[in-house]
Amino acid sequence: MITTPHSVKEYRGQLKKALENEFLGTTLDNFATAYKTSRAKAFEGIDLEGLIQEIAAGKDASIPCLEELFALFKVRAEAAGVTVHAAHTATEANEIISSIARANGVRKIVKGKSMTAEETFLNTHLEKAGYQITETDLGEWIIQLRHEGPSHMVMPAIHLSRKQVAELFTRVTGEHQDPDDIDGMVKVARRELRQAYLEADMGITGANFAIAETGTLGLVTNEGNGRLVTTLPRVHVALVGFDKLICDLKSALRILRALPRNATGQAISTYVTWITGANECAPGPDGRKEMHVVFLDNGRLALAKDPVFSQTLRCIRCGACANVCPIYKLVGGHNYGHVYIGAIGLILTYFYHGRENARAIIKNCLNCQACKSVCPTGIDLPHLIKEVYRAVLEVEGKKPVKNVLLSRVLKDRRLFHFLLRRARLAQKPLAGGGDLIRHLPLFFSKEHRFRSLPVVAKNPLRDIWEHINPRLPKPRYRVALFGGCLVDFVYPEQAEALLKLTREHDVQLEYPMQQTCCGLPAKMMGENETAREVAVQNLKAIDPANYDWVLTLCASCGSHMKENYAKLLADEADLPVKVQQLRDKIIDFSSFMQNVLKVAPEKFVESHKKVAYHSPCHLCRGLHVTKEPRDLMKTAGLDYVPAKDEEVCCGFGGSFSIDFPELSAELLKRKLDNVEATGAGVLVTDCPGCVLQLRGGMDKRAAGKVKVKHIADVVAENLKR
Amino acid sequence: MPKQDLKEMMKEKAQAVQSVVSEVGSIEEAFRYAIDITRKQGGTVLAAPGLGRQDASAFAAFRALCEQNGVALVKESLRAEIGKLHTGFTVADYGIAETATIVQESSCEDLRIATMLSEIHVAVLPAARIKPNAMALENELKGEMKSAPSYLAFISGASRTADIERELTIGVHGPQELHILILDGDQA
Ligand code: SF4
Ligand code: SF4
Repeated sequence: MITTPHSVKEYRGQLKKALENEFLGTTLDNFATAYKTSRAKAFEGIDLEGLIQEIAAGKDASIPCLEELFALFKVRAEAAGVTVHAAHTATEANEIISSIARANGVRKIVKGKSMTAEETFLNTHLEKAGYQITETDLGEWIIQLRHEGPSHMVMPAIHLSRKQVAELFTRVTGEHQDPDDIDGMVKVARRELRQAYLEADMGITGANFAIAETGTLGLVTNEGNGRLVTTLPRVHVALVGFDKLICDLKSALRILRALPRNATGQAISTYVTWITGANECAPGPDGRKEMHVVFLDNGRLALAKDPVFSQTLRCIRCGACANVCPIYKLVGGHNYGHVYIGAIGLILTYFYHGRENARAIIKNCLNCQACKSVCPTGIDLPHLIKEVYRAVLEVEGKKPVKNVLLSRVLKDRRLFHFLLRRARLAQKPLAGGGDLIRHLPLFFSKEHRFRSLPVVAKNPLRDIWEHINPRLPKPRYRVALFGGCLVDFVYPEQAEALLKLTREHDVQLEYPMQQTCCGLPAKMMGENETAREVAVQNLKAIDPANYDWVLTLCASCGSHMKENYAKLLADEADLPVKVQQLRDKIIDFSSFMQNVLKVAPEKFVESHKKVAYHSPCHLCRGLHVTKEPRDLMKTAGLDYVPAKDEEVCCGFGGSFSIDFPELSAELLKRKLDNVEATGAGVLVTDCPGCVLQLRGGMDKRAAGKVKVKHIADVVAENLKR
Repeated sequence: MPKQDLKEMMKEKAQAVQSVVSEVGSIEEAFRYAIDITRKQGGTVLAAPGLGRQDASAFAAFRALCEQNGVALVKESLRAEIGKLHTGFTVADYGIAETATIVQESSCEDLRIATMLSEIHVAVLPAARIKPNAMALENELKGEMKSAPSYLAFISGASRTADIERELTIGVHGPQELHILILDGDQA
C-alpha cells in the first residue's frame, strides 16, 4: 500500500532514511548522468524548442474540448464494435471494470503498465473482487510481487538492486537465481508471464493516446507486453485518462517524436500499437475481441477549465521531470510523489489523491527549474508546484508563523530594512538576530549547522552608495542596479567590484533607493499577494524608461522579475508596459560584460588562476544564460575548469534549506565534492544566494581550501591597474 | 529523399535498435534466408500467416522450399502452435527510415501471434515502401484506421527491457531478434 506522510516532520524522518540508502543514491545519480547524454543525443538534429511548442499547442487545442473529443471518440469506436464508458471517479472506473469482468465470466487478468490504473488502485479493487491479476511489464511485475507502488513512471522498479530482484525471484520460483545473471532473470519473467497471458480471460491496458477522429488507441511499449495483453485474452479493457484524448493522428505522431526520446533517450520505443475497433480474436464472441474503453475523469474535466492548472493535462508521462530533479535523485520516487512521481507528481497528487497526501511533499521543491527545462510539453512545473502549495495553505487556513511575519515585514520596506540593521547590532550571524530575523528572506535558523552563515554588513550598500559611486561626466550607458537583499545587506562588496568595472568602462550606475526585496521569497512561500505588492513597489522605484539597462548581480532576483512579474501583475491595469520594459532591460552581470560592454582581454591580467564554476539555477534555466559567464572568466584571464554537474542546484533554494536541511546539506556536499575534484582554487558563481550556500559549506569543510566568489569579484580583481 | 538514401538510413538506424538489415533480390531469397536462420538456430516451425492469406502461389512455393529443408510452414490457427513457433515471417506494409521501424497492419490475429510469440521475426520490406519518417505516413495510417477494425503495429527492433538496474536486456516477451530484408523491385 502506498502511504505518503501528511506532515513535514514525518516526511523529514522518511527522507533521512532515504538519504542513507547508498544503492539508491548511486543508481539515481548514474541514471541522471546517463540520461542527460542520451537525451541530448536522441534530439540531435531536431528543433526541440519548436517541437515543444507544437506539442503544447496541439494539447492546448484538445484540453478545452475534451468532452467533445470524448463524444467523437465514442461514436467512432462504437461504430467499430467497442464499448466506451466514462467514469467520474476512480471508484466508478474500478467498478465499471469489475462489472465487465463479471459479465464476461473472467477469472484471470493480465495487465499492461498503466499509471492511470495505479491512480485508481485498480489491482487492489480487482483482487478484493476475487480476480487473479498479473502485471506483465517486468518492472510492474516485480513491484507487484513486492506489494509496492512504482518509484518512477517509466521505470517502476528503478529503486531495486539486482540482488533484491534475485531474492524475490528465488522466492517466487523456488529456484535459486543468480543476481549477476540479469539475462537469466529476464528469462524467468518471460517464462512465468507467458503462462499468465495464455491463461488470462481479460487484458487491461492504459493508453498513451486516444485519437478522437478515428476512435483509435495508441500504446507505446518496449517489452511488447502491451501487444500480448491486447491480443491473447478474449476481453480487452483500456483505462484511459480524459487527458489522453487528442484531436487527430498528426498530434499523436508529433508527441511520439518526443516521448521516447525524452523518456529514455530512444528514438522510438520498440512497439507502438494503434488499435481501432474490436479486432479478430479467436476465443472471443463471434471471433472478435470484447473490447471496452473506460475514460477516467477523476478531476481532469475540472482541471481542464482551470486557467492556471489546465496545462498539467498536457503531461505525456515521460518521467523526465523526475530524471533531472536533484531531489528525486537523492531520495527516489517513493519519497517524491504519491502515485505520480516527480515534479508533475507533486502537483497531480493534490488533484487526484488529495490535500493530505500533497501537504508535505509539495514543499519539497528547490524551484531549480530543472524539470521545466526538460518537459516536452512545456509545463511550467516549478510555478505550478508553488501554486499548489499556495492553494494548500489557503484551503487549510493555517498559515505558518513565518508566512505571516514574512508578509508583514516584506510589505513595509522601512520595517524590513530596520530589522536587518538591528540584526547587525546583535553582531551575530543572521541566525541569531532576534525572533523575526530568521523568518526574513534570508530565513536562517540555528539548527542548520551544515554551513556557516554570514553576518549583516556593517555598512549596507544603500548607506555607502553615494560615497563609492562617482558621477561620470559623459557615460556611455545609464544603468540601474537592482541589488537584492543579499547584495544590499550582506555582500555590498560585490557591488563595489561591479563599480570598479563599470567605472573603467564609462558606465554610470545608479541605485534607486526605494527598491526593496524582489519578492521571490514571498512567492516561494505561496504569498503571492505580498510578492505582488513588493513587485509594484519595485516598479515604482525603478522606472525602466530612465535607464539603458537594469542590471542585477543576483540571478534569482533577475529571473523572478523577468518571469514572474508579468504573472503577478497581470491584473494591474497601469503596469503592463512597465513590466515589459523591465523585462526587456533586465540583464545579468556576465551578459552585460560580454555582450553589452564587450570587455576586452587586454584590460585584464592573465593570472591563469584555476577556477571552477557553479551555474545558478536561475541563471542557466531562469535567464537562459550559460555561455557568457564561462566566456567572461576566460576574457578576464582565468583558467576555467569544468566540474561535474555544474548546472545542478547547490541546495540553497531560499526557504527550502529551512524546511529540508538534510537535503540541502547533501546537495551542497555533492556540489563541493565535484568542485574539489577539479583541483581549482576558486569557485566562481553569479548569484549571491549561491555564494552564501557554497561559501558557508566550504567554510565548514576540513579540507575547505577553495575560495567561493561572485563572478564580479574575480573579474574585478584581474582588472589591470 | 532518394530510395537509396532511405535504405541507407534504415540500415544505419537499425544498428541502434539491434535489428539485422539485409537486402534481398527476390522473395525466394527471403524465403531461403528465413529457412536458413531457422535451421541454424535449431528451429523447426516457420509461420507466414500474411503470405498465406494474400498470396497462395508464393505461399505454396515457400512451403515446398520449407519441406525440402525439413522445416514446417504454418499459416493459420496459430494459437495452437504457440510454444512451437520459431520464426515469424511477414511482409511489412511500410518502413520508417528515421527510426528503422517496420509498419504492419495486423488485424489478422495469426499475424499478430506470428510476430509476437515467435522466437525471431523476419520481415520483408519492399524498398519502395520506405518513408523518411512517421509524419510522411500520416495519410496511409489514417486510411487504415478509418477502415476499422485495425491493429497497426510499429515495430523497431526486438522486445527489450531495462527494468532491472537499467541494464538493456533483449527478448523479455516478444521475439528476441528482428531481421529486416529490404526487397528491391516489385516482386513483393
Ligand atoms: S524545480 Fe527543481 S527541485 Fe523543484 S521539482 Fe523541479 S527539478 Fe525538482
Ligand atoms: S510533466 Fe512534462 S516532463 Fe514530467 S512527465 Fe509530464 S510530460 Fe514528462
